[in-house]
Amino acid sequence: MVKETSFDDYFIEDDPMLIKTEEFKSHFGNDYYVGVLTQCDNHFTKKNLTTLRALSNELLDSLSYADKITSLTDIEFMVGSDDGMTIEQIVPDEIPDDGTAAMDSIRARAYSKPHVARKLISEKGDLSWIMVKLRAFPKDSVWKKTSTVAPDIITGEEVERIIKKPEYASLNPRGTGMPYVTHCKTVYIGKEMGRLMMIATLICMVVMLCMTRSLRGVIAPIVSVIGGLFITYGIAGFTQMYVDSTVLMIPTILSFAVAIAYNIHIFSYFRGRMRIHGERRKAVVETLKEIGWSVFFCGFTTLVSLLSFLVIPIRPMHCVGIISSMSVLFVLLTSLIVTPVLLSFGKDKRPLEGFTEDSDTRWTKAMVSLSDAVLRNPHKIGWSFLVVCILLCIGLWKIEAAFDIERTMGENVPYVKEVMNVGRSELGSLYSYDLIVELPNNDEAKEPVNLKLLDELQQKVAGYKLTKRTTSILDILKDLNQTLNNGDTAYYRIPDTEEEVAQMMVLYENAGGTESEYWMDYDYRRLRLMVEISDFNSAQVEREMQQIQADAETLFPDAKITTVGNIPQYVTMMQYLVRGQMLSFVISILIIGVILMIAFQSIRVGLIGLIPNMMPAIFVGGYMGWAGIPLDMMTATLLPMMLGMAVDDTIHFINHSKLEYDRTNHYQSAIRRTFRVVGVAIVITSIITSAVFASFCSSACIMCINFGLTAIIGIMSALAADLLVTPILVSKCKVFGKGKKVKE
Amino acid sequence: MKKIIFILAVALMGATAVSAQKLTGRDVIQKVKDRPDGNTRYAELELTLKKKNGTTRQRKVTSWAMDEGKDTKKMMFFTYPGDVKGTGFLTWDYDQIGKEDAKWLYLPAMKKTRRISGSSSKTDYFMGTDFTYDDMGSRHVDEDTHKLLREEVKNGHKCWVVESVPVDKHEIYSRKVSWIRQDCLTAAYVEYYDKLNKLHRVLTISDVNKIQGFWTIQKMEMKNVQTEHSTVILVKNSQYDVKIDKALFTVAKLEKGL
Repeated sequence: MVKETSFDDYFIEDDPMLIKTEEFKSHFGNDYYVGVLTQCDNHFTKKNLTTLRALSNELLDSLSYADKITSLTDIEFMVGSDDGMTIEQIVPDEIPDDGTAAMDSIRARAYSKPHVARKLISEKGDLSWIMVKLRAFPKDSVWKKTSTVAPDIITGEEVERIIKKPEYASLNPRGTGMPYVTHCKTVYIGKEMGRLMMIATLICMVVMLCMTRSLRGVIAPIVSVIGGLFITYGIAGFTQMYVDSTVLMIPTILSFAVAIAYNIHIFSYFRGRMRIHGERRKAVVETLKEIGWSVFFCGFTTLVSLLSFLVIPIRPMHCVGIISSMSVLFVLLTSLIVTPVLLSFGKDKRPLEGFTEDSDTRWTKAMVSLSDAVLRNPHKIGWSFLVVCILLCIGLWKIEAAFDIERTMGENVPYVKEVMNVGRSELGSLYSYDLIVELPNNDEAKEPVNLKLLDELQQKVAGYKLTKRTTSILDILKDLNQTLNNGDTAYYRIPDTEEEVAQMMVLYENAGGTESEYWMDYDYRRLRLMVEISDFNSAQVEREMQQIQADAETLFPDAKITTVGNIPQYVTMMQYLVRGQMLSFVISILIIGVILMIAFQSIRVGLIGLIPNMMPAIFVGGYMGWAGIPLDMMTATLLPMMLGMAVDDTIHFINHSKLEYDRTNHYQSAIRRTFRVVGVAIVITSIITSAVFASFCSSACIMCINFGLTAIIGIMSALAADLLVTPILVSKCKVFGKGKKVKE
Repeated sequence: MKKIIFILAVALMGATAVSAQKLTGRDVIQKVKDRPDGNTRYAELELTLKKKNGTTRQRKVTSWAMDEGKDTKKMMFFTYPGDVKGTGFLTWDYDQIGKEDAKWLYLPAMKKTRRISGSSSKTDYFMGTDFTYDDMGSRHVDEDTHKLLREEVKNGHKCWVVESVPVDKHEIYSRKVSWIRQDCLTAAYVEYYDKLNKLHRVLTISDVNKIQGFWTIQKMEMKNVQTEHSTVILVKNSQYDVKIDKALFTVAKLEKGL
C-alpha cells in the first residue's frame, strides 16, 4: 500500500484547484516549503552561528528535494558601494569570536535592512528562521516506481531526522511547513491507529465473551474483522489505490462495529434456538433462514451509504467510501460463512426445559415491558421526539467545516502544539497562500506601473487581520535599487523605468541572485505575492480570500487573478466537504429508501422505515452545530455512516415485525415478539458498537474524540428511534395491513 | 652502423609507445587548454534559456575576447531584448589559481557600472544560465585533479574520457566526467555531479567546425537534469585575430560603449 497524504492529493484529478496549483508550480516551483525555527539566548555568538550554519548546510545538502535555503547564515544579502555590488553573506565564512567588533558588525548588518531582518532574526536575537524552498516533487507515476512513500513525507522524515540530531540541540530547532506537518501527522496517526485498534479489539473480545460466554463468540468477530480487512487492504495495495492515513482508521473501526453487530445477531438468535431444541445444526440453519437475510440486507445498505461518499470530490472521502464499503462487504461475507461454520462444530445441547418461543429471559422480559410502555404512550413519545428534532435541526445549520490542525487535531497532540507555537512566534508561520497576477502580455511584469500596483496590493494585504508577512519581487527590486544607490534608503522604492528594472535583474542574476525566479515568472508576465498567516480562523480566512481577490481585481482589471496554496485549498476543500456531505447524505437516504421499498415490497414501508433513520443524522448534526464541533475529514463520514448503521436495526425490527405480523396478524403481538426476539440483540449491538467507537475518545486528538462522541450519539439516537419511534410508526400507520383487534 | 641506427629507431619507437600509453588525464586537459584559439576573438552569441514548462528566454550578445598571456579579457554587450540593449559585461579571467576573476556590469539605464564580486558559488553561473564562467571560458588545469578513465566513441567521435575532481571543495560540483574529442580537442559531452554525487548537469557540444583554421564550437547545450532547466548557446559569426584595441577591455570603454 502506498502512503500518500499530500494535501494536493486530496483533490481529484482535473479538479480546478489542482489545475491552478499545477500551473503555479510550473512557473514558480514547489509551493511547499520547510521552515525551521531555532531558539537560543542569543544567536550572535560564535558557537550558535556555527551551529546554525551547520544546520542550514545540512538541510540544504541532505534534504532530497531541497532547492534553496534562506537563513541568517545563508542569504542573498546585497551590499553596495560606489563602484561595486556584491551579493554576499551576513555571516562571513570565518565566524568571529564573541564580543569582537566583527561580531557586532554581523549583528548590525543583520538588522540594517528591516525587510530582511523581519524574516530571519527576532528583535531580541533569540529566534531565527530557516526557510528551505523545495524542488518540484516528481509525478506519482515516477516516484511510485521506486518507493511507497510520497516525496513530501520523505522530506518531512528527513527534516525530523536532521533537527533532532544532538549537535543541533543547543538551538532547539522546531520544524514546520506542509511536508513536516504531513510526516508528523502520518507518524502520529500510525501510532494512534495501532493504539485505538488494540483498545477496540480488547473491547470487542471482552464484550463478546460476556455476551456469548463462549470462545467462538470471541473468535468469530475477530476472524471476520481480520479476514475482511486483510482482503480489503490487500486489494487496495495490489490495485495501488489511493490510501490516506487520516481516514484509514474509519474503515477499520467500522469493520469492528459491523462484525460485532452481525455476529451478535447471529449468536443471539442461534442461542435462542438452542435453548428451545438444543440441536446445533438445526439451530444454525434456522438462524441463517431467519436472520441471514436481514444481516445481508443490513450489510448491503451500509455498503450503499458508504459508497455515497464517492459524490464528494475529495480523494480521502473516496478512499473512505471504497475501502469502508469493501471492508463491510468482506466482513459481512466472512460473518455469514465463518460464524455459522464455527457454530456448527460441537455437540448438541440439552434444551432448556419448558423454554419456548414465547419464553422470556430476564433481558427479553425487560424488552417486552418496554414495548408495552412504548405502545401505551405513542403521543408523548412522538411529540418529545419532534420537539427535540426541531431544536437539533436549528443546530444543524450552525455546522461549519474546518481543516486547520488546531481545530481538527488540537494542541493536546504534541506535534500540533509544536507547530502552532512555531506559527505563532515572531518569525514563524504555519500556513501560506499565493496570489498570482497574470498580466495580459509578456514583459509587462517589469513595467513600473504594474509593480506599483503590486506594491499597493501588498500594503493592503499586510493590513488584513490574519496576515503575518508578505513577500514579492518588490522586496528584491527595492533592495537592489537601494544597494545600487549607495544604500540610500530614499531609493528603497520601485525603479522608475522598465529598462532600469530589466538591467537590475541582469545585474542581480550575474551577482548570483536566484530568488527572483520565485517571484516573477520566466515570461515576465506573472507576479506572485505570498501571504503567510500564523493563525487560522475558517470564517475569517474565507473572508480574506474573497477580499484579496476583490482587491487584486480592482487594481489589475485586465489581469487574471488566481489564489493557490494551502489556504485556498483548505477553503475549497471545506466547500466541497459541506456540499458533498449534504449530497452524499441525500443520496444515501434516497437509495436506502428505495432498497427498503424493494426489500419489503412496499413504498409505505420504505418511506416509514426512513423516518427513524433520519434521527441519528439530526441528533449528530444538531449536536455538532450546537457544540461547535467542526465538519472535518472524519466527522464528515459520520452522517452517511450513521444512516447505514441505523438502518440495520430498523431492518431487523421491520423484518421481524413483518414475520411476526404474518404469523399473528396483530400489531401489538408482533411488536412485542419482535422486541423479545431481536430487541436484546439490537440493544447489545448498539452498546457494543458505541463502546468500540468510544475507543476514539481515548485519543488526544480532537478529531478522534469528536468522532467517537458523535458516533456514540448517533448510535444511541438510532437505538432510541428504533425502539421508541419505529414501533409507533409500524402500528399507527398499519404498514403491513389492517390487522385484527384482539382483546387483551 | 645500420644496426645501431636500427636499434636506436626501435628503442625510440618503444619509448614513444610507452609514453603514449602513459597519457594522463592532466595531459588531455592540458591539450584542450592549449588548443589554438587565436589571440583575439569575436562572436555573436544567442542564448536560449528554457524552463521545464517549456517557457524560454532569449538573449543576444556580441562578444570580444583578447588573451593577455595566460589571462583572458572579454567584453560583451547585450543586443536583445530591447530593455537590456546596451548593457555591457566586462570580465578579466585570471589563469592563476586562487586569483578571483573580475567582473563588471554596466547598466545604461542608470549610467552606472557595478563590479560584481563575491566568492559565493552562486556567482559562478553566467547570465542566469546553466553555464558557469568556467564553462564559458577556461579553468586552470590544476584546479582539478584529472584521471584518464578510458577511450570511447561518443556521438560518432573517438574520445578520451577524463574524470576531474576539483581541488577546492567549495566548487559546485564534486566531480565531472568529460568526453574529449581526440580530433579537435574540444569536449563532446560532460557530466557534472553534485555534492551528493548525483548527476546535476550535462553539457553537449555539437557543431564544431574549423573557422579560419581554428576549431570553433558553434553550439553548446547545458541541461540541469535535476531542475530540467536548459540553456542553448549558439555561436555565430566567429572571427579570430580581429584587430582589437586593448583599451576596449576597460571600465571606461564599458561605459562609453562601442
